[in-house]
Amino acid sequence: MGFGIMSDYPGASWLARYRERVNGDVELDVIGEWFNTTLTLTFGERSYALKIAKGKIADIVASPRLDVRAAFGFAAPVEVWNKFLSPDPPPLYHDFFAMLMRVPNFRLEGDSLVAMQNARALHRLMNIMRETGMPDA
Amino acid sequence: MPEFEPIAGRYITIDIAGERHRIFIEEAGRGPPLLCLHTAGNDSRQFRHLMNDGAVTGRFRVIAFDMPYHGRSTPPDRWWLKKFRLTTESYIAIIRAVWLALKLERPTVLGCSMGGAIVLKLAARYQDELAGIVGLESSAYAPGRYNDFLHHPAIHGGELCASYTYGLNSPYSPEVNRRENWWYYAQSGPGVYQGDVYFYSLDWDAREDLKQIDTARCKVALLTGEYDYSCTPAMTEAVAAAIPGSRYRLMKGMGHFPMIENYPGFRPYLLDALDHIAPQPK
Repeated sequence: MGFGIMSDYPGASWLARYRERVNGDVELDVIGEWFNTTLTLTFGERSYALKIAKGKIADIVASPRLDVRAAFGFAAPVEVWNKFLSPDPPPLYHDFFAMLMRVPNFRLEGDSLVAMQNARALHRLMNIMRETGMPDA
Repeated sequence: MPEFEPIAGRYITIDIAGERHRIFIEEAGRGPPLLCLHTAGNDSRQFRHLMNDGAVTGRFRVIAFDMPYHGRSTPPDRWWLKKFRLTTESYIAIIRAVWLALKLERPTVLGCSMGGAIVLKLAARYQDELAGIVGLESSAYAPGRYNDFLHHPAIHGGELCASYTYGLNSPYSPEVNRRENWWYYAQSGPGVYQGDVYFYSLDWDAREDLKQIDTARCKVALLTGEYDYSCTPAMTEAVAAAIPGSRYRLMKGMGHFPMIENYPGFRPYLLDALDHIAPQPK
């Protein structure tokens, strides 16, 4: 398709590591019982749908088509995700709520009510992304 | 003997704008008064490390209170018949009522976030009655934090407010402290954080008031954390630039809640700010 090397961002091995961390997370075990939704993560031109069941990632669908129903999602250019995921995130890029307020090209898409109903577990899910570290794609 | 902390808490009932309010006040130390104002939707427990620090309490009588509706202070009678909305004027009335009830003479007022905002207005209005102000995360104008979901029947307000403010901590502050602040946020009453943010993001604008502050009469020390995205360092720099003679320091690696998220990291900046306001004899 000619998207170049970044088209696979964040890469299959990173997604596998992330999923493993989420599904082994003690805190999400404690708070995730009612965290049941599908959300999308869009890294530049690349999208994934994360199917969340009881606080676990049950499935990751790459390039979801129109028959994958997602309640909400986060979308940003790869450069923004790289700052968020860096070991020393710059101010304003260290937390998804910070980016929603101060980074214009980090966007919450879809039904924000569902996102905020799950704010606590969702925040943990996003912070585990940071703990997963930099993508290797 | 049990090893009690040196903090003592008491209750006082006072009139604030024609209403009776039972207010929780805690204090520690001896010396000129240092009155501490907590952040939106929180309470005076945020100052527990400061009030346990002998380097502060050896020089100051440190006093912190829970705002009405917050922490252990009781809402006034018939609270259920009106929406809680803090405003610039009601906030000043609360602080002034506590100040006068305790007969504090030339206090230094230290406030964080919305407290760091209102101290600017106190300095403009009461500069002859203050020793100085310490503004933590101080802004003269801070739109953008208010939203309807902070008090909404389909959302757990405690969990949202606590999570919404968690990232205001620096990622470098110890997790146990950030989580403690999360817990305090989760304990605030329905709509209280939103009512405070109504003040902070919709009512508050002190950009003109700054011009009236005379630092020869009322000293001004300002401290802001590098990772604060609600009151960014640039916002406090603008405040400092508008107040000739004020002292501003950026706190590297710090967030929006220095006194609770990382007291050891905050302490040198705090002691320096207090020295600026009340120089120690050589």
